[in-house]
Amino acid sequence: MSSQSMPSLVHNNNPNAVTEIEVSIDSFIAKLKRRQISGSYIIALETLQLLKRFISAVRWSHVNELIAQIRELGNRLEKANPTAFGCGNVIKRILAVLRDEIEEDMKESQNAGASSSPSANNLNDRNSSAVGDVSQAEPLIASMFNLLQKPEQNSQDFYESKSKTKTDFRQVVIQAIKDLIDEIKNIDDGIQQIAIDLIHDHEILLTPTPESKTVLKFLIRARERANRTFTVLVTEGFPNNTQNAHDFAKKLAQHDIETIIIPDSAVFALMSRVGKVIIGTKTVFINGGSIVSSAGVSSVCECAREFKTPVFAVAGLYKLSPLYPFNVEKFVEFGGSQHILPRMDPRNRLDTINKITDYVPPENIDIYITNIGGFAPSFIYRIAWDNYKQIDVHLDGKQK
Amino acid sequence: MAPKKGSVGNSNSRDVDVEDRFQAVVLTDSFETRFMPLTADKPRCLLPLANVPLIEYTLEFLANAGVNEVYLTCSSHANQIDEYIENSKWNLPWSPFKISTILAPEARSVGDVMRDLDNRGIITGDFILVSGDVITNIDISKMIEFHRKMHAQDKDHIATMCLSEATEYYKTRTFEPAAFILDKSTNRCIYYQDLPLISSQEKGAVQIDPELLESVDEFTIRNDLIDCRIDICTPHVPPIFQDNFDYQSLRTDFVRGVISSDILGKSIYAYITSDYATRVESWQSYDTISQDYIGRWCYPMVLDNNMQYDQTYSYESRHIYKENNVVLAQSCKIGKCTAIGSGTKIGEGTRIENSIIGRNCQISENIVIKDSFIWDNTIIGDNSKIKHSIVASHAKLGNNVTLNDGCIIGFNVIIDDNMEIPKSTKISFKPVKNLGSSTFNLGGDEEASDEEDSVEYSSFVGVNGVGYLYDSDTSDDDEDESNDIHKVSNCLAYQLEELYLSDASISSITKRKKKKRTMSSNSMYTDREDIESEDDDDEDFEAEGLATVERALENNHDIDTALLELNTLRMSMNVTYHEVRTVTVMALVRRVYHFISTQTLGPKDAVHKVFNHWGDLFKRQAFEESEFVDLMNIIMDVVEDTHFDKPDLILFGAFTSLYDNDILEEDIIYKWWDNVSDDPKYDNVKGLIAKWVEWLRTADEESSEEESSEEE
Repeated sequence: MSSQSMPSLVHNNNPNAVTEIEVSIDSFIAKLKRRQISGSYIIALETLQLLKRFISAVRWSHVNELIAQIRELGNRLEKANPTAFGCGNVIKRILAVLRDEIEEDMKESQNAGASSSPSANNLNDRNSSAVGDVSQAEPLIASMFNLLQKPEQNSQDFYESKSKTKTDFRQVVIQAIKDLIDEIKNIDDGIQQIAIDLIHDHEILLTPTPESKTVLKFLIRARERANRTFTVLVTEGFPNNTQNAHDFAKKLAQHDIETIIIPDSAVFALMSRVGKVIIGTKTVFINGGSIVSSAGVSSVCECAREFKTPVFAVAGLYKLSPLYPFNVEKFVEFGGSQHILPRMDPRNRLDTINKITDYVPPENIDIYITNIGGFAPSFIYRIAWDNYKQIDVHLDGKQK
Repeated sequence: MAPKKGSVGNSNSRDVDVEDRFQAVVLTDSFETRFMPLTADKPRCLLPLANVPLIEYTLEFLANAGVNEVYLTCSSHANQIDEYIENSKWNLPWSPFKISTILAPEARSVGDVMRDLDNRGIITGDFILVSGDVITNIDISKMIEFHRKMHAQDKDHIATMCLSEATEYYKTRTFEPAAFILDKSTNRCIYYQDLPLISSQEKGAVQIDPELLESVDEFTIRNDLIDCRIDICTPHVPPIFQDNFDYQSLRTDFVRGVISSDILGKSIYAYITSDYATRVESWQSYDTISQDYIGRWCYPMVLDNNMQYDQTYSYESRHIYKENNVVLAQSCKIGKCTAIGSGTKIGEGTRIENSIIGRNCQISENIVIKDSFIWDNTIIGDNSKIKHSIVASHAKLGNNVTLNDGCIIGFNVIIDDNMEIPKSTKISFKPVKNLGSSTFNLGGDEEASDEEDSVEYSSFVGVNGVGYLYDSDTSDDDEDESNDIHKVSNCLAYQLEELYLSDASISSITKRKKKKRTMSSNSMYTDREDIESEDDDDEDFEAEGLATVERALENNHDIDTALLELNTLRMSMNVTYHEVRTVTVMALVRRVYHFISTQTLGPKDAVHKVFNHWGDLFKRQAFEESEFVDLMNIIMDVVEDTHFDKPDLILFGAFTSLYDNDILEEDIIYKWWDNVSDDPKYDNVKGLIAKWVEWLRTADEESSEEESSEEE
């Protein structure tokens, strides 16, 4: 296809801009690899900023090329740190918005085309408008057949049509990025609204993820707005998270919340007295399972299940990933061994496996509290397909 | 020669203000031969550790540190390094720093490099001085902060060394153990001293000039610090090397020199961290660090970060790393702590554990690989067993080959079927320098040499094999032939029982200091001598003097020139004739040892050749009777120390040669013999001498007039 050779031509047209954007992409990738940026919030925001600059710099002759280039960028970022899902998530979100816009645009142009020369585009037009009707009529409850069929047919049509479109896709993407940044920045407000209803007076809460800012704000909000008095138990999270746990407890205490740090081993003993377990998540997968940011959370949730204690997971929408955790090991990040054991000669020492993050299966989570409301884990897939396109789940393969 | 501009199209954003830019100097050459024979083909910093060239780890560290400019100083294999850097990702316009290589092929020591650096005037501000084989995850920003703080407090502060704390469980702490004496409150380094190796039976002692401790309230002596050779230096450092043109090594000369010098009045501080920081300085540390790296002890620097663009490692639990396109047979077993590069095929029934396999290797069926390092593009035949060995790139092992503990198979070596390589054997494709004499042709089917030895060694690579035995002990003067401690510890094989570190042995005090490591402009030595006291002059003179005499011996200078050089040295360093004699004797004996060990000459011939020709040197180094007696004592000491097979024969040969050449008179010999020390360690040295003196005395009596004229 001619579009394959286009990017290089584009590069030649404006070498400076391309070099400059390449510099920032590359330094961002290097930072991801060196784990210099961490935290899904920061990663998501930085990715969006980078994408914004990327979009302003790239040139394309057809919107397909734009999609291909964004996918390429997303693929590079995902590869750089496979456990930083934030990059992939936001890029896939933007792609979904872009594809929606293309669809819209195509429909318009076809409608226009249909009115001017009905004979030529008759079949096409009928086809797509029929599909379009279905999707408009039943935006949520489309059949499995339509879910699989619709985007492919549409895109097929569109990719084949070489007609110029009127829509300024650059503007569309940049606007989408701005919206998404706003959304991410205001995520806590949405979640906090729900907080007040969930926490009762004189309740004992347990949180095993002290580094989550969302959890922190959630609790503080419940204390300050609703003026509830409750006790928070914080697990120590040894060895990776101990410092965070202490900071977290301190902050809560400053807001006049009764806070107790408990050793990780005491969770089972205390669980019978706990009213709710609140966990922050790093990533929520399409099956409703989630990656949480410290090892041991999984066992805490297991424990909660044993005692029928409800587990609430708080997550911004941007943490939702369209991936399915077939191989959990690939998605969990393994940290260093140096904090667990003293350094010894390799020949006579224990090998340690230090998971930094942990996977909580969907059956151990009772409800997800997101900025757009609370959902059961089994419903997560629907929200995902509202925000992502099937075609963009995996960025590495060739599209179509 | 201006430094080559590495990157061309730099964006403006990185052209930082000259004042603010942060520079780093990477010493890619260590001026050592510990990685022979592999370093004969490739510089140390390009040897792969966990399938990534060593230098990458250092550069990655510098990138993390936020350095703006990096200068790589290359001397041996400079063109290879230059080429590598040119094609690496660091040379791309978006690399985090500007990288330039400085070619200094004439440099022979770290001191030379620093002087070169000063001459070029590149350094404008504080810079990081780091050796090209560092693997670390330290947070440099804290170190810089420490450096700045100390600099604000003490304007004489010129450098900060980064030292990493080792735990008591870490037995092989470092290959170059040293004691640091630090001021407790500020971490100012008061004194630095090398310690004898852990494996040696010697006792180490630290002697501190009381004057150094005058202004210090409390100090600590620490030997548990791993010197990872990451220093932050102020721009004053290179000029100090310039002023003290005899400084060779960074620690022994520079650090010791600076902190014990009243005139300079500069101070060096130590930054102590508990993060991971070590150097790949020997085969053992290569082994340890590889395992540490695979075991994720250096997190966040781990293999599945895929630092190189083309890497595709992914992690599985039990520390298994696999790249894409690895072909594993169904019945093969991949055990813990293993990394496998892309394109590698592993056959049925093969078991691999604790090993690192490079790219595009063909590993056939029913092979056992344990604790080993297989580099790229190797081929290993069926039913082979590889235990704790290194197989370098493009090597080819036949079927049923067994590599025992500690083998090092060089680049391109071919080993025939059914061979068993004994423990700690090093084999290289080409004979490694200084040759002819020191290595033997192992390829049985290449020229049929009738030397017995070659028959013996062809047992290593087999009839169809290609490879030469590399034996660091007999090869040349570069490696300290007399020092069997090094021989022991610089091989890969397990020697834990020998390496057992007892802290108690360091605290006990003895007056002898035996080991000394210095660099000379020719090469690197380690000598063992019995010198009661030494100060810096002594040590410098020794290295210089030794080098001078050896140069003379090697290039066959005439005696007058050699004497002139020695004398100049003696005057300039202000040492006595005793030192001059010691140095000369040492050089001569070493020469003899060299001849014998390379089997060029028999022991007797060697001694006669060397001492007949060069004995005249002593005529101008000893004048009085007592001085000649001293000379004889020195010869005996040195011979005793050098560990010949037959020390008595050597000593006897030396004395008779000197006697025959009228350098030693009978009276002197008698006098010496009467006062000779009864120390039992000299007993086997003196064996023949006793008879000789006896014979001289009887001959003297029989023909008192003729003396020994007929023997001349």
